[in-house]
Amino acid sequence: MATVQTPPQTQLTMVQAIRSALLEEMERDQDVVILGEDIGVRGGVFLITEGLIDKFGPERVIDTPLAEAGIIGAAVGMALYGLRPIAEIQFIDFIFPGFDLLVTEAAKIRYRSAGQFGVPMVIRSPYGGGVRGGAYHSQSPEAYFVATPGLKVVVPSNPYDAKGLLIASIRDPDPVVFMEPKKIYRAVKSEVPAGPYEVPLGKAALVREGKHVSIITFGAMVQVALEAAGLLAADGVEAEILDLRTLQPYDTQAILTTVAKTGHVVLLQEAPRIGGYCAEIAAYIAEHAVEHLEGPIVRVAGWDTAFPYALEKVYMPNAQRVVRAVKKTLNF
Amino acid sequence: MRIEPFTDTPLSILAYDGTPKENPDSLGLGKDDYLHMYRWLVFVRGVDDRGYILVRQGRAGFYAQIAGQEAAQVGSALPLLKDDWMYPDHRSQGSMLVKGLSAAEWFGHVLGRTLDPTQGRLMPHGPGRRDLHIVPPASTVGNKITEAVGTAMAQRIKKRKEITICYMGDGATSEGDFHVGMNFAAVYQAPALMFVQNNQYAISMRTDQQTRTKTIAEKARAYGMPGYFVDGNDVLAVYAVTKHCADRARSGNGPSLIEAYTYRYGPHSSADDDTRYRPKGELEMWRTQRDPVTRMRRFLELRGWWSEEQEQRLQAEIKAQLAAAMEEAEKSPPPAPLTVFDHVYETLTPHLAWERAELAAELGV
Ligand SMILES: Cc1ncc(C[n+]2csc(CCOP(=O)(O)OP(=O)(O)O)c2C)c(N)n1
Repeated sequence: MATVQTPPQTQLTMVQAIRSALLEEMERDQDVVILGEDIGVRGGVFLITEGLIDKFGPERVIDTPLAEAGIIGAAVGMALYGLRPIAEIQFIDFIFPGFDLLVTEAAKIRYRSAGQFGVPMVIRSPYGGGVRGGAYHSQSPEAYFVATPGLKVVVPSNPYDAKGLLIASIRDPDPVVFMEPKKIYRAVKSEVPAGPYEVPLGKAALVREGKHVSIITFGAMVQVALEAAGLLAADGVEAEILDLRTLQPYDTQAILTTVAKTGHVVLLQEAPRIGGYCAEIAAYIAEHAVEHLEGPIVRVAGWDTAFPYALEKVYMPNAQRVVRAVKKTLNF
Repeated sequence: MRIEPFTDTPLSILAYDGTPKENPDSLGLGKDDYLHMYRWLVFVRGVDDRGYILVRQGRAGFYAQIAGQEAAQVGSALPLLKDDWMYPDHRSQGSMLVKGLSAAEWFGHVLGRTLDPTQGRLMPHGPGRRDLHIVPPASTVGNKITEAVGTAMAQRIKKRKEITICYMGDGATSEGDFHVGMNFAAVYQAPALMFVQNNQYAISMRTDQQTRTKTIAEKARAYGMPGYFVDGNDVLAVYAVTKHCADRARSGNGPSLIEAYTYRYGPHSSADDDTRYRPKGELEMWRTQRDPVTRMRRFLELRGWWSEEQEQRLQAEIKAQLAAAMEEAEKSPPPAPLTVFDHVYETLTPHLAWERAELAAELGV
């Protein structure tokens, strides 16, 4: 009799974890296809799709002409027909030539067809700064997508979640914008099981427990929050860190729980502050948990400018800014 | 050379070995012009080589070389007049230099220093200069095409004898912007030159994976404008075709598409690994048999206007000039931190003023 084996685990980077999700889902389901620029022999500019064209051929690993409206529009049409397309946008800054197809079509077809049609598609794309990419290779445009009912928005912060969230996104019946923090594509490793597993959409993760303040964040900023928590611990302040993982729909229960526990909230995002995602979380807390607050909700965000090249370090939120924000709410 | 649109083979004046297929003097050019063109070719190659070294030294984050495409850029920028407008793309520094950007400014841009007329705002894809009518490129492929056409429409509305040249790669012609821009340019008979540097790759994608047409030039027919297919490594042919189209646009006869058939020597950028997609031997063939700089040099030698000694002198002169330019760029400081808030709007909004004060307090300045 065969003994029950725990699946083998390996230390993977986010790039490898995402590749294994693609590979395993393509093996499991013939309807999963991927399309994008340079994803074939080049393996994608970050090598996420490396080797997939050899395994699945050019009909399922579709190297497209340079046209994001084509990529997103074609993915919508494939999904309407019943395939499960995964579109790669080389950098999320270049999603805008296909924005109409995303926010007008992908997001709304289920609603305006009264449920007859759906688009089970994923748009994967690297986002974020810290890579000397300047104005058009560094942005964090999640707010546009979150403000579009019909789209789900997912942002992993580590390899384990990246694989499980991507698999859940591929299997989800609705369009998912899957934003990959490119700064930590190779910088963070974690144990990733071989074989498919899902990390459910809409569920946050408690990354660090603490009792004095809640830092709520997502994506590459989780690393910054962890660094800040280390600095704060040296001062006797125990920060709790909540990684939202899914921005839409977001985990209200996890937010309420941590706010009730600490009474102090710092929200952390890379994107500019005005109209940013954290404004939504701040409003939600103000509406639903004001009785637990013992200080102001403080946001740490990118400045309200375009993303600079030479002054990138000045622009990016860092641990020191988070520490100052924590002190501001604690010393209120 | 008869300047005809829609040819199957690229228009050219110089054979690969530099032998003229016909007398280029009929273009109205003379010895000094040829020497001037050659000097530009050597100069922009020199600037580009030194720019790329900055990445290898870890002093710049990114670089897209123009090596191999010098003739396409020099030959298309030389016919422009001072007031003409230029929309470069992310691989057009040679054209920008000819239009008047200095080598020191280019190095300042690559290093992200204040000598960069655009103050280190963008990764090294190209600065811009209002006074030279050079609009800064975006990284977003193709999104300048309709803007360039709009500028050309404005030139026509204002009845100026100016034109606008818009640079793009073969890959950019797959974006919707290209098709929309071509149509607008033709409908309004805008004085626009749509200049495609077909270097045969868009990162890893060969041109025959972008389009089923044999040439890009032939797409112009569908929009109602002439499309010229020219040997982009023949600086004389590129010059002649661009001059022809510029004259046409300037005299109110509308836009043209020019496809300069060329080849990039470098990887797509410093972040690329071109060995993954380039067939063996292809690069060597272009480099050794079709090089645009060597081809022009051979022509000058055949005319008896160029010697090894003159070559040595030119190389030494440019080397010294570029060393001085690099020094100037290196001496220029990076932008001051608080300038991060400048130019979001013409004047600082109250909210930005508040963020600026927050950063000033953080930095203790
Ligand atoms: C809208 C958009 N999509 C994708 C990219 C990523 N990208 C940068 S350059 C490039 C290829 C451009 O090819 P081409 O237009 O032929 O110009 P070349 O780089 O060969 O000069 C790609 C895909 C981008 N910058 N912008």
